[in-house]
Amino acid sequence: MEDLILRDYIISAASQINAGGGTNGDNPTNLGVSDFSLVATTLDTNNAYKFMSGIEGMDRFGTGPVRSSYFMLSSTELQSDMDGLVGQGFISSWNYPTNSSALPSEYGSVFNIRVLTSSEAPVARGASAMNNDVYYNTVAGKQAVTHINQDGFSMNLIYRDPYFSGMLAQNATLAVKFAQAQALTQDTAVRNLLCTRLSNLGV
Amino acid sequence: MTEYSRSAKGSFTQAATGNNVAIYLPFQPNLVKLTNYTAYANFAASDIPWAVWDVQMGQGFAAVGYVGTGPVLETGVVTSNGISTFAAGLSLQFGAKQQIASIAKASPTVVTTAAPHGYNVGDVVLMEGLYESATTGMPQMSGMLFQITAVGSTTTFTVTWNSNQSNYTALTASPTGAFVMKVLYPFLYLPGQNFIEAINTTTNLITTTTNHNYVVGQQVAFRIPTAWGSTQLNSLPDTLIPGSPIYYYVTAVNSNTTFTVGGNLTNVTAYTSNVPVAQVPGLTPPQVVAVGDVNTGGFPYNGGNLYPSPAFPTFSGGVSTINGPAIQGAFVNNTRQGFVIGSGNAVVLGTPDTASHLSGETGDVIYWEALFDEIAMP
Repeated sequence: MEDLILRDYIISAASQINAGGGTNGDNPTNLGVSDFSLVATTLDTNNAYKFMSGIEGMDRFGTGPVRSSYFMLSSTELQSDMDGLVGQGFISSWNYPTNSSALPSEYGSVFNIRVLTSSEAPVARGASAMNNDVYYNTVAGKQAVTHINQDGFSMNLIYRDPYFSGMLAQNATLAVKFAQAQALTQDTAVRNLLCTRLSNLGV
Repeated sequence: MTEYSRSAKGSFTQAATGNNVAIYLPFQPNLVKLTNYTAYANFAASDIPWAVWDVQMGQGFAAVGYVGTGPVLETGVVTSNGISTFAAGLSLQFGAKQQIASIAKASPTVVTTAAPHGYNVGDVVLMEGLYESATTGMPQMSGMLFQITAVGSTTTFTVTWNSNQSNYTALTASPTGAFVMKVLYPFLYLPGQNFIEAINTTTNLITTTTNHNYVVGQQVAFRIPTAWGSTQLNSLPDTLIPGSPIYYYVTAVNSNTTFTVGGNLTNVTAYTSNVPVAQVPGLTPPQVVAVGDVNTGGFPYNGGNLYPSPAFPTFSGGVSTINGPAIQGAFVNNTRQGFVIGSGNAVVLGTPDTASHLSGETGDVIYWEALFDEIAMP
Protein backbone atom coordinates (compact mmCIF):
# COMPACT_ATOMS: atom_id res chain seq x y z
CA MET A 1 0.00 0.00 0.00
CA GLU A 2 2.85 2.38 0.79
CA ASP A 3 4.26 1.73 -2.67
CA LEU A 4 0.91 2.38 -4.35
CA ILE A 5 0.53 5.70 -2.58
CA LEU A 6 4.00 6.80 -3.61
CA ARG A 7 3.34 5.54 -7.15
CA ASP A 8 0.16 7.60 -7.45
CA TYR A 9 1.82 10.57 -5.85
CA ILE A 10 4.55 10.58 -8.48
CA ILE A 11 2.24 10.17 -11.46
CA SER A 12 0.09 13.01 -10.12
CA ALA A 13 2.84 15.46 -9.30
CA ALA A 14 5.76 14.82 -11.66
CA SER A 15 6.00 15.98 -15.26
CA GLN A 16 5.72 13.66 -18.22
CA ILE A 17 7.58 12.97 -21.44
CA ASN A 18 5.63 11.21 -24.17
CA ALA A 19 7.55 8.48 -25.94
CA GLY A 20 8.23 9.44 -29.55
CA GLY A 21 10.87 6.96 -30.55
CA GLY A 22 8.51 4.11 -31.36
CA THR A 23 6.87 3.22 -34.62
CA ASN A 24 3.19 2.65 -33.85
CA GLY A 25 2.13 6.21 -34.80
CA ASP A 26 0.25 6.76 -31.54
CA ASN A 27 0.75 9.49 -29.01
CA PRO A 28 2.60 8.48 -26.99
CA THR A 29 4.33 5.92 -29.19
CA ASN A 30 5.70 2.61 -28.06
CA LEU A 31 9.13 2.72 -26.45
CA GLY A 32 12.14 3.25 -28.67
CA VAL A 33 15.70 3.28 -27.40
CA SER A 34 15.88 7.00 -28.17
CA ASP A 35 13.25 7.59 -25.48
CA PHE A 36 15.50 6.04 -22.86
CA SER A 37 18.35 8.17 -24.09
CA LEU A 38 16.22 11.33 -24.02
CA VAL A 39 15.00 10.81 -20.47
CA ALA A 40 18.46 10.01 -19.17
CA THR A 41 19.82 13.09 -20.92
CA THR A 42 17.12 15.24 -19.37
CA LEU A 43 17.89 13.94 -15.90
CA ASP A 44 21.62 14.33 -16.43
CA THR A 45 21.10 17.92 -17.54
CA ASN A 46 19.20 18.54 -14.34
CA ASN A 47 22.08 17.11 -12.30
CA ALA A 48 20.13 14.12 -11.03
CA TYR A 49 22.09 11.49 -9.15
CA LYS A 50 22.18 8.01 -10.59
CA PHE A 51 21.26 5.10 -8.36
CA MET A 52 23.68 2.48 -9.60
CA SER A 53 27.26 2.53 -10.69
CA GLY A 54 28.01 0.57 -13.83
CA ILE A 55 29.00 -3.06 -14.22
CA GLU A 56 32.31 -3.54 -15.92
CA GLY A 57 32.39 -5.86 -18.92
CA MET A 58 33.72 -9.38 -18.48
CA ASP A 59 34.93 -12.08 -20.81
CA ARG A 60 31.68 -14.02 -20.69
CA PHE A 61 29.60 -15.10 -23.71
CA GLY A 62 26.51 -13.01 -24.40
CA THR A 63 27.18 -10.38 -21.78
CA GLY A 64 27.86 -6.69 -22.07
CA PRO A 65 28.83 -3.87 -19.75
CA VAL A 66 26.08 -1.93 -17.98
CA ARG A 67 26.25 1.83 -17.63
CA SER A 68 25.75 3.73 -14.41
CA SER A 69 22.01 4.10 -14.24
CA TYR A 70 18.78 5.64 -13.07
CA PHE A 71 15.95 3.35 -12.14
CA MET A 72 12.76 3.11 -14.19
CA LEU A 73 9.64 1.41 -12.85
CA SER A 74 7.67 -0.19 -15.70
CA SER A 75 4.74 -2.49 -16.15
CA THR A 76 5.32 -6.19 -16.66
CA GLU A 77 3.09 -5.78 -19.73
CA LEU A 78 5.95 -3.96 -21.44
CA GLN A 79 8.43 -6.80 -21.07
CA SER A 80 7.74 -8.14 -24.55
CA ASP A 81 8.39 -4.67 -26.00
CA MET A 82 11.67 -4.58 -24.07
CA ASP A 83 12.63 -7.93 -25.55
CA GLY A 84 12.00 -6.40 -28.96
CA LEU A 85 14.74 -3.87 -28.24
CA VAL A 86 17.44 -6.53 -27.82
CA GLY A 87 20.21 -5.62 -30.21
CA GLN A 88 19.23 -1.96 -30.19
CA GLY A 89 20.40 -1.19 -26.67
CA PHE A 90 18.40 -3.38 -24.32
CA ILE A 91 20.41 -5.77 -22.18
CA SER A 92 18.49 -8.37 -20.21
CA SER A 93 19.52 -8.62 -16.57
CA TRP A 94 20.57 -12.18 -17.42
CA ASN A 95 23.08 -10.72 -19.85
CA TYR A 96 24.78 -8.53 -17.28
CA PRO A 97 28.41 -9.48 -16.72
CA THR A 98 27.38 -10.35 -13.17
CA ASN A 99 23.95 -10.57 -11.60
CA SER A 100 25.14 -9.69 -8.15
CA SER A 101 23.77 -6.14 -8.26
CA ALA A 102 20.57 -6.95 -10.20
CA LEU A 103 17.42 -6.59 -8.17
CA PRO A 104 14.85 -9.42 -8.16
CA SER A 105 12.42 -7.35 -10.23
CA GLU A 106 15.05 -6.02 -12.61
CA TYR A 107 14.28 -6.89 -16.23
CA GLY A 108 17.26 -5.29 -17.89
CA SER A 109 18.84 -2.01 -18.86
CA VAL A 110 18.83 0.41 -21.78
CA PHE A 111 21.71 2.86 -21.92
CA ASN A 112 21.67 4.76 -18.61
CA ILE A 113 18.42 3.29 -17.29
CA ARG A 114 17.88 0.03 -15.45
CA VAL A 115 14.31 -1.22 -15.75
CA LEU A 116 12.33 -2.71 -12.86
CA THR A 117 9.01 -4.29 -13.76
CA SER A 118 5.92 -4.76 -11.64
CA SER A 119 2.32 -5.72 -12.27
CA GLU A 120 1.36 -2.75 -10.09
CA ALA A 121 3.02 -0.16 -12.31
CA PRO A 122 0.52 2.53 -13.35
CA VAL A 123 -1.46 2.06 -16.56
CA ALA A 124 -4.18 4.32 -17.98
CA ARG A 125 -6.35 1.91 -19.94
CA GLY A 126 -7.37 3.07 -23.40
CA ALA A 127 -6.13 6.62 -22.87
CA SER A 128 -3.80 7.26 -25.80
CA ALA A 129 -4.58 9.32 -28.89
CA MET A 130 -5.46 6.07 -30.66
CA ASN A 131 -7.32 4.49 -27.72
CA ASN A 132 -4.48 2.27 -26.58
CA ASP A 133 -3.27 1.70 -23.03
CA VAL A 134 -0.84 4.33 -21.74
CA TYR A 135 1.94 3.14 -19.45
CA TYR A 136 3.58 5.44 -16.92
CA ASN A 137 7.25 4.60 -16.61
CA THR A 138 8.68 6.52 -13.69
CA VAL A 139 12.36 7.34 -14.12
CA ALA A 140 13.93 8.76 -10.99
CA GLY A 141 17.21 10.08 -9.79
CA LYS A 142 18.40 9.33 -6.30
CA GLN A 143 17.35 12.69 -4.86
CA ALA A 144 13.91 12.82 -6.51
CA VAL A 145 11.52 11.33 -3.98
CA THR A 146 11.44 10.17 -0.44
CA HIS A 147 8.94 8.93 2.03
CA ILE A 148 8.94 9.70 5.67
CA ASN A 149 7.81 7.22 8.25
CA GLN A 150 6.22 9.39 10.87
CA ASP A 151 6.65 8.91 14.59
CA GLY A 152 9.49 6.51 14.03
CA PHE A 153 7.57 3.50 12.83
CA SER A 154 7.11 1.89 9.47
CA MET A 155 4.32 -0.38 8.30
CA ASN A 156 2.87 -2.89 10.76
CA LEU A 157 1.00 -5.98 9.65
CA ILE A 158 -1.41 -6.72 12.47
CA TYR A 159 -2.97 -10.12 13.06
CA ARG A 160 -5.07 -11.00 16.06
CA ASP A 161 -6.53 -14.45 16.24
CA PRO A 162 -10.27 -14.84 16.96
CA TYR A 163 -9.74 -15.45 20.64
CA PHE A 164 -8.34 -11.95 21.06
CA SER A 165 -10.60 -10.24 18.51
CA GLY A 166 -14.00 -10.81 20.06
CA MET A 167 -15.75 -12.26 23.04
CA LEU A 168 -17.11 -15.17 21.04
CA ALA A 169 -13.87 -15.81 19.15
CA GLN A 170 -15.66 -15.74 15.81
CA ASN A 171 -13.57 -13.33 13.76
CA ALA A 172 -9.89 -12.73 13.35
CA THR A 173 -8.43 -9.28 12.71
CA LEU A 174 -6.02 -8.64 9.85
CA ALA A 175 -4.93 -5.07 9.26
CA VAL A 176 -2.13 -2.89 8.03
CA LYS A 177 -1.11 0.23 9.91
CA PHE A 178 1.37 2.84 8.80
CA ALA A 179 2.00 6.51 9.22
CA GLN A 180 3.82 7.82 6.24
CA ALA A 181 4.23 10.95 4.18
CA GLN A 182 5.56 11.28 0.65
CA ALA A 183 7.73 14.07 -0.59
CA LEU A 184 8.95 15.03 -4.02
CA THR A 185 12.29 16.40 -2.92
CA GLN A 186 13.58 17.44 -6.33
CA ASP A 187 11.13 17.83 -9.19
CA THR A 188 13.77 18.09 -11.87
CA ALA A 189 15.14 14.64 -11.01
CA VAL A 190 12.06 12.63 -11.88
CA ARG A 191 10.08 12.10 -15.10
CA ASN A 192 7.17 9.94 -16.12
CA LEU A 193 7.97 8.45 -19.52
CA LEU A 194 4.57 7.71 -21.04
CA CYS A 195 4.32 5.10 -23.75
CA THR A 196 1.95 2.73 -25.48
CA ARG A 197 2.67 -0.87 -26.34
CA LEU A 198 3.74 -2.36 -29.65
CA SER A 199 3.27 -6.04 -28.99
CA ASN A 200 -0.03 -7.81 -28.53
CA LEU A 201 -0.60 -8.63 -24.90
CA GLY A 202 -2.24 -11.91 -25.80
CA VAL A 203 -4.74 -11.95 -22.94
CA MET B 1 -22.64 -2.12 17.54
CA THR B 2 -19.18 -3.66 17.63
CA GLU B 3 -15.79 -2.88 16.22
CA TYR B 4 -16.66 -3.83 12.63
CA SER B 5 -19.65 -1.51 12.32
CA ARG B 6 -19.37 2.09 11.28
CA SER B 7 -21.92 4.85 11.50
CA ALA B 8 -21.90 8.56 10.89
CA LYS B 9 -24.41 11.39 10.69
CA GLY B 10 -24.44 14.99 9.56
CA SER B 11 -26.25 17.64 7.59
CA PHE B 12 -25.68 20.16 4.82
CA THR B 13 -27.49 23.01 3.09
CA GLN B 14 -27.82 22.57 -0.65
CA ALA B 15 -25.97 25.36 -2.46
CA ALA B 16 -27.71 25.02 -5.83
CA THR B 17 -30.60 22.93 -7.07
CA GLY B 18 -29.51 19.48 -8.16
CA ASN B 19 -25.86 19.85 -7.23
CA ASN B 20 -24.05 16.61 -6.47
CA VAL B 21 -22.99 16.51 -2.82
CA ALA B 22 -20.02 14.41 -1.72
CA ILE B 23 -19.89 13.32 1.90
CA TYR B 24 -16.40 12.34 3.04
CA LEU B 25 -16.24 9.55 5.61
CA PRO B 26 -13.63 7.21 7.05
CA PHE B 27 -15.53 4.30 5.47
CA GLN B 28 -17.79 3.43 2.53
CA PRO B 29 -21.34 2.94 3.81
CA ASN B 30 -23.66 0.14 2.71
CA LEU B 31 -26.79 1.97 3.92
CA VAL B 32 -27.62 5.69 3.65
CA LYS B 33 -30.72 7.54 4.84
CA LEU B 34 -31.59 11.13 3.86
CA THR B 35 -34.10 13.49 5.46
CA ASN B 36 -34.83 16.72 3.60
CA TYR B 37 -36.12 18.88 6.46
CA THR B 38 -37.05 21.74 4.13
CA ALA B 39 -39.07 19.45 1.88
CA TYR B 40 -40.88 18.06 4.92
CA ALA B 41 -41.82 21.62 5.89
CA ASN B 42 -42.82 22.87 2.45
CA PHE B 43 -44.62 19.78 1.12
CA ALA B 44 -44.45 21.17 -2.41
CA ALA B 45 -44.86 19.19 -5.62
CA SER B 46 -41.68 17.45 -6.86
CA ASP B 47 -40.05 17.52 -3.43
CA ILE B 48 -38.24 14.43 -2.15
CA PRO B 49 -38.60 14.58 1.66
CA TRP B 50 -36.73 11.32 2.40
CA ALA B 51 -34.65 8.70 0.69
CA VAL B 52 -33.02 5.38 1.51
CA TRP B 53 -30.20 3.65 -0.28
CA ASP B 54 -28.89 0.14 0.31
CA VAL B 55 -25.82 -1.20 -1.40
CA GLN B 56 -27.93 -4.08 -2.71
CA MET B 57 -29.96 -1.59 -4.80
CA GLY B 58 -26.83 -0.85 -6.82
CA GLN B 59 -24.71 2.25 -7.27
CA GLY B 60 -26.71 5.34 -8.27
CA PHE B 61 -30.11 4.13 -7.06
CA ALA B 62 -32.37 5.09 -4.14
CA ALA B 63 -35.90 4.52 -2.82
CA VAL B 64 -37.62 7.83 -2.12
CA GLY B 65 -40.67 9.49 -0.72
CA TYR B 66 -42.09 11.92 -3.28
CA VAL B 67 -44.57 14.77 -3.27
CA GLY B 68 -46.83 14.60 -6.31
CA THR B 69 -49.22 17.23 -7.63
CA GLY B 70 -52.07 17.90 -5.31
CA PRO B 71 -49.86 17.89 -3.30
CA VAL B 72 -50.01 14.24 -2.36
CA LEU B 73 -47.41 11.97 -0.83
CA GLU B 74 -46.28 9.15 -3.09
CA THR B 75 -43.31 6.79 -3.36
CA GLY B 76 -40.83 6.33 -6.12
CA VAL B 77 -37.30 5.30 -6.98
CA VAL B 78 -34.19 6.97 -8.34
CA THR B 79 -32.58 4.87 -11.05
CA SER B 80 -29.62 7.04 -12.05
CA ASN B 81 -27.56 9.74 -10.33
CA GLY B 82 -28.83 8.54 -6.98
CA ILE B 83 -26.59 7.59 -4.09
CA SER B 84 -23.25 5.94 -4.74
CA THR B 85 -20.12 5.23 -2.75
CA PHE B 86 -16.59 6.09 -3.80
CA ALA B 87 -13.00 5.44 -2.80
CA ALA B 88 -10.69 8.06 -4.26
CA GLY B 89 -7.44 6.38 -3.37
CA LEU B 90 -5.92 5.35 -6.67
CA SER B 91 -5.16 7.45 -9.71
CA LEU B 92 -6.01 6.74 -13.34
CA GLN B 93 -9.60 5.72 -12.73
CA PHE B 94 -11.91 6.71 -15.57
CA GLY B 95 -15.63 6.77 -16.21
CA ALA B 96 -17.25 5.13 -19.20
CA LYS B 97 -16.03 6.08 -22.68
CA GLN B 98 -18.49 8.23 -24.56
CA GLN B 99 -18.50 8.71 -28.31
CA ILE B 100 -17.72 12.25 -29.46
CA ALA B 101 -20.17 13.25 -32.21
CA SER B 102 -18.51 16.49 -33.27
CA ILE B 103 -16.23 19.35 -32.28
CA ALA B 104 -16.45 22.65 -34.12
CA LYS B 105 -13.40 24.90 -34.37
CA ALA B 106 -13.83 27.50 -31.65
CA SER B 107 -12.23 29.15 -28.64
CA PRO B 108 -13.14 27.92 -26.11
CA THR B 109 -13.84 24.52 -27.58
CA VAL B 110 -17.33 23.02 -27.42
CA VAL B 111 -17.55 19.23 -27.58
CA THR B 112 -20.73 17.43 -28.64
CA THR B 113 -21.28 13.85 -27.56
CA ALA B 114 -23.44 11.30 -29.35
CA ALA B 115 -25.47 10.57 -26.21
CA PRO B 116 -26.15 12.55 -23.00
CA HIS B 117 -22.82 12.83 -21.23
CA GLY B 118 -24.00 13.43 -17.67
CA TYR B 119 -21.06 15.72 -16.92
CA ASN B 120 -21.12 18.74 -14.64
CA VAL B 121 -19.15 21.98 -14.63
CA GLY B 122 -15.85 21.27 -12.88
CA ASP B 123 -15.58 17.66 -14.02
CA VAL B 124 -12.23 16.71 -15.52
CA VAL B 125 -12.22 14.79 -18.79
CA LEU B 126 -9.71 13.13 -21.10
CA MET B 127 -10.28 13.03 -24.85
CA GLU B 128 -8.69 10.68 -27.33
CA GLY B 129 -8.86 9.64 -30.96
CA LEU B 130 -9.68 13.17 -32.12
CA TYR B 131 -8.94 12.43 -35.78
CA GLU B 132 -11.27 13.49 -38.60
CA SER B 133 -9.04 11.59 -41.02
CA ALA B 134 -5.61 10.00 -40.74
CA THR B 135 -3.96 13.39 -41.11
CA THR B 136 -6.57 15.86 -39.89
CA GLY B 137 -8.61 16.57 -36.79
CA MET B 138 -7.78 17.82 -33.30
CA PRO B 139 -5.42 15.17 -31.89
CA GLN B 140 -3.35 18.01 -30.38
CA MET B 141 -5.89 17.94 -27.53
CA SER B 142 -5.58 14.22 -26.93
CA GLY B 143 -4.01 13.01 -23.72
CA MET B 144 -4.38 16.27 -21.81
CA LEU B 145 -6.80 16.75 -18.95
CA PHE B 146 -9.49 19.39 -19.38
CA GLN B 147 -11.83 20.83 -16.80
CA ILE B 148 -15.37 21.43 -18.04
CA THR B 149 -16.13 25.14 -17.81
CA ALA B 150 -19.71 25.06 -19.09
CA VAL B 151 -22.38 22.50 -19.90
CA GLY B 152 -24.47 23.85 -22.78
CA SER B 153 -26.87 20.93 -23.00
CA THR B 154 -27.10 17.27 -22.14
CA THR B 155 -24.81 16.50 -25.08
CA THR B 156 -22.45 19.49 -25.14
CA PHE B 157 -19.74 20.80 -22.83
CA THR B 158 -17.02 23.43 -23.04
CA VAL B 159 -13.29 23.20 -22.28
CA THR B 160 -10.62 25.89 -22.24
CA TRP B 161 -8.70 25.43 -25.47
CA ASN B 162 -8.37 27.33 -28.73
CA SER B 163 -9.16 24.87 -31.53
CA ASN B 164 -10.02 27.67 -33.97
CA GLN B 165 -6.59 27.55 -35.59
CA SER B 166 -5.19 26.58 -38.97
CA ASN B 167 -3.83 23.18 -37.94
CA TYR B 168 -7.14 22.06 -36.47
CA THR B 169 -9.95 20.48 -38.48
CA ALA B 170 -13.49 20.20 -37.15
CA LEU B 171 -14.68 16.75 -36.14
CA THR B 172 -17.96 15.62 -37.66
CA ALA B 173 -20.19 12.55 -37.88
CA SER B 174 -18.90 10.69 -34.80
CA PRO B 175 -15.39 9.78 -35.99
CA THR B 176 -14.37 6.22 -35.20
CA GLY B 177 -12.33 6.08 -32.00
CA ALA B 178 -13.14 9.65 -30.88
CA PHE B 179 -14.00 9.30 -27.21
CA VAL B 180 -14.20 11.32 -24.03
CA MET B 181 -14.07 9.89 -20.55
CA LYS B 182 -14.30 11.43 -17.13
CA VAL B 183 -11.32 11.28 -14.79
CA LEU B 184 -12.99 10.09 -11.61
CA TYR B 185 -10.41 11.38 -9.10
CA PRO B 186 -8.24 14.00 -10.79
CA PHE B 187 -6.85 15.83 -7.77
CA LEU B 188 -5.61 13.17 -5.38
CA TYR B 189 -2.23 14.76 -4.75
CA LEU B 190 -2.01 18.52 -4.94
CA PRO B 191 -0.76 20.56 -6.63
CA GLY B 192 -0.35 18.11 -9.47
CA GLN B 193 0.94 18.21 -13.00
CA ASN B 194 -0.83 20.92 -15.00
CA PHE B 195 -1.22 21.31 -18.76
CA ILE B 196 -0.83 24.76 -20.28
CA GLU B 197 -3.53 26.30 -22.46
CA ALA B 198 -1.90 29.70 -22.96
CA ILE B 199 1.05 31.85 -21.91
CA ASN B 200 0.92 35.63 -22.13
CA THR B 201 4.52 36.77 -22.24
CA THR B 202 3.49 40.40 -21.72
CA THR B 203 1.42 39.97 -18.56
CA ASN B 204 3.14 36.76 -17.39
CA LEU B 205 -0.28 35.14 -17.14
CA ILE B 206 -0.35 31.35 -17.41
CA THR B 207 -3.62 29.58 -18.22
CA THR B 208 -3.99 25.91 -17.38
CA THR B 209 -6.55 23.41 -18.65
CA THR B 210 -7.59 22.36 -15.14
CA ASN B 211 -7.44 23.94 -11.70
CA HIS B 212 -3.77 24.62 -11.07
CA ASN B 213 -4.11 24.59 -7.26
CA TYR B 214 -1.11 26.84 -6.70
CA VAL B 215 -0.68 29.48 -4.03
CA VAL B 216 1.18 32.78 -4.15
CA GLY B 217 4.86 32.25 -3.53
CA GLN B 218 4.89 28.73 -4.93
CA GLN B 219 7.88 27.72 -6.99
CA VAL B 220 7.02 26.21 -10.38
CA ALA B 221 8.91 24.63 -13.25
CA PHE B 222 7.89 24.58 -16.92
CA ARG B 223 8.22 21.64 -19.33
CA ILE B 224 7.40 22.90 -22.81
CA PRO B 225 8.54 20.92 -25.87
CA THR B 226 9.77 22.91 -28.87
CA ALA B 227 6.56 22.52 -30.88
CA TRP B 228 4.66 24.71 -28.40
CA GLY B 229 7.14 27.64 -28.26
CA SER B 230 8.18 29.55 -25.11
CA THR B 231 10.93 27.01 -24.47
CA GLN B 232 13.02 29.64 -22.68
CA LEU B 233 10.79 29.04 -19.67
CA ASN B 234 11.92 25.42 -19.34
CA SER B 235 13.73 24.37 -16.21
CA LEU B 236 17.10 23.94 -17.82
CA PRO B 237 20.24 24.96 -15.91
CA ASP B 238 20.10 28.61 -14.89
CA THR B 239 23.19 30.38 -16.20
CA LEU B 240 22.81 33.04 -13.51
CA ILE B 241 22.56 30.59 -10.62
CA PRO B 242 25.07 27.77 -11.17
CA GLY B 243 23.66 24.38 -10.18
CA SER B 244 20.06 25.54 -10.17
CA PRO B 245 17.42 24.98 -12.83
CA ILE B 246 15.29 27.90 -14.04
CA TYR B 247 12.31 28.16 -11.72
CA TYR B 248 9.59 30.78 -11.39
CA TYR B 249 7.57 31.98 -8.45
CA VAL B 250 3.82 32.40 -8.51
CA THR B 251 3.21 36.08 -7.80
CA ALA B 252 -0.57 36.10 -8.15
CA VAL B 253 -3.37 33.60 -8.38
CA ASN B 254 -5.82 35.22 -10.80
CA SER B 255 -8.40 32.45 -11.00
CA ASN B 256 -8.65 28.73 -10.46
CA THR B 257 -7.08 28.17 -13.89
CA THR B 258 -4.80 31.20 -14.24
CA PHE B 259 -1.81 32.46 -12.33
CA THR B 260 0.96 34.99 -12.79
CA VAL B 261 4.66 34.27 -12.50
CA GLY B 262 7.42 36.70 -11.70
CA GLY B 263 10.30 37.59 -13.98
CA ASN B 264 10.66 39.32 -17.30
CA LEU B 265 9.19 37.20 -20.09
CA THR B 266 9.36 39.78 -22.86
CA ASN B 267 12.20 37.92 -24.60
CA VAL B 268 10.39 34.60 -24.41
CA THR B 269 9.13 33.41 -27.78
CA ALA B 270 5.40 33.24 -28.24
CA TYR B 271 3.48 30.24 -27.02
CA THR B 272 1.37 28.42 -29.61
CA SER B 273 -1.08 25.55 -29.44
CA ASN B 274 -1.37 25.51 -33.25
CA VAL B 275 0.79 22.41 -33.58
CA PRO B 276 0.60 20.51 -36.90
CA VAL B 277 -1.19 17.16 -36.74
CA ALA B 278 1.81 15.48 -38.32
CA GLN B 279 3.82 16.29 -35.16
CA VAL B 280 1.33 14.64 -32.80
CA PRO B 281 2.77 11.09 -32.65
CA GLY B 282 5.15 11.26 -29.74
CA LEU B 283 4.28 14.87 -28.94
CA THR B 284 4.71 15.73 -25.25
CA PRO B 285 2.12 18.22 -23.97
CA PRO B 286 3.16 21.57 -22.43
CA GLN B 287 3.24 21.34 -18.64
CA VAL B 288 3.91 23.28 -15.50
CA VAL B 289 4.58 21.53 -12.20
CA ALA B 290 5.19 22.59 -8.65
CA VAL B 291 8.77 22.30 -7.52
CA GLY B 292 9.09 19.92 -4.64
CA ASP B 293 12.42 21.06 -3.29
CA VAL B 294 11.55 24.34 -1.59
CA ASN B 295 7.81 24.25 -1.85
CA THR B 296 6.49 26.00 1.19
CA GLY B 297 4.74 28.65 -0.83
CA GLY B 298 7.33 31.25 0.01
CA PHE B 299 5.97 31.76 3.49
CA PRO B 300 8.24 30.46 6.24
CA TYR B 301 6.48 28.40 8.87
CA ASN B 302 6.22 30.58 11.94
CA GLY B 303 5.13 28.04 14.48
CA GLY B 304 1.44 28.88 14.21
CA ASN B 305 -1.47 26.55 13.86
CA LEU B 306 -1.38 24.60 10.61
CA TYR B 307 -5.11 23.88 10.65
CA PRO B 308 -7.50 24.12 8.91
CA SER B 309 -6.65 21.74 6.10
CA PRO B 310 -5.75 23.42 2.83
CA ALA B 311 -8.67 23.98 0.49
CA PHE B 312 -8.63 23.35 -3.25
CA PRO B 313 -9.04 24.95 -5.73
CA THR B 314 -7.08 27.80 -4.24
CA PHE B 315 -8.78 30.85 -5.79
CA SER B 316 -12.49 30.30 -5.22
CA GLY B 317 -14.90 27.56 -4.26
CA GLY B 318 -12.23 25.67 -2.36
CA VAL B 319 -13.09 22.53 -0.41
CA SER B 320 -10.87 21.47 2.47
CA THR B 321 -9.10 18.18 2.11
CA ILE B 322 -9.73 15.66 4.85
CA ASN B 323 -6.10 14.74 5.31
CA GLY B 324 -4.63 18.00 6.61
CA PRO B 325 -2.81 19.76 8.08
CA ALA B 326 -0.22 20.81 5.56
CA ILE B 327 2.39 23.46 5.11
CA GLN B 328 1.18 26.14 2.72
CA GLY B 329 2.17 25.30 -0.81
CA ALA B 330 3.47 21.86 0.01
CA PHE B 331 2.10 18.79 -1.70
CA VAL B 332 -1.13 17.57 -0.14
CA ASN B 333 -2.67 14.15 -0.04
CA ASN B 334 -6.31 14.49 -1.08
CA THR B 335 -7.35 10.85 -1.10
CA ARG B 336 -10.81 10.27 0.35
CA GLN B 337 -13.86 8.01 0.49
CA GLY B 338 -17.50 8.22 1.37
CA PHE B 339 -20.70 8.59 -0.64
CA VAL B 340 -22.21 10.96 -3.20
CA ILE B 341 -25.79 12.21 -3.30
CA GLY B 342 -26.61 12.76 -6.96
CA SER B 343 -29.15 14.95 -8.71
CA GLY B 344 -31.27 11.99 -9.81
CA ASN B 345 -34.99 12.37 -10.52
CA ALA B 346 -37.74 10.49 -8.75
CA VAL B 347 -39.32 7.88 -11.00
CA VAL B 348 -42.95 7.39 -9.97
CA LEU B 349 -44.85 4.50 -11.55
CA GLY B 350 -42.27 4.42 -14.33
CA THR B 351 -42.39 8.13 -15.12
CA PRO B 352 -39.46 10.36 -14.10
CA ASP B 353 -40.22 13.81 -12.71
CA THR B 354 -37.36 15.93 -14.04
CA ALA B 355 -38.26 18.74 -11.61
CA SER B 356 -37.38 16.55 -8.64
CA HIS B 357 -33.85 16.18 -7.36
CA LEU B 358 -32.59 13.71 -4.80
CA SER B 359 -29.94 16.17 -3.64
CA GLY B 360 -32.57 18.86 -3.10
CA GLU B 361 -33.08 22.45 -4.15
CA THR B 362 -31.20 25.63 -3.29
CA GLY B 363 -31.33 26.24 0.45
CA ASP B 364 -32.71 22.82 1.38
CA VAL B 365 -31.42 21.55 4.71
CA ILE B 366 -30.73 17.85 4.40
CA TYR B 367 -29.77 15.46 7.20
CA TRP B 368 -27.95 12.26 6.39
CA GLU B 369 -27.10 9.08 8.21
CA ALA B 370 -24.60 6.55 6.90
CA LEU B 371 -24.03 3.02 8.16
CA PHE B 372 -21.70 0.15 7.51
CA ASP B 373 -23.42 -2.77 9.14
CA GLU B 374 -21.97 -5.55 11.22
CA ILE B 375 -23.81 -8.24 9.33
CA ALA B 376 -25.20 -7.92 5.81
CA MET B 377 -27.32 -10.71 4.28
CA PRO B 378 -26.60 -10.96 1.44
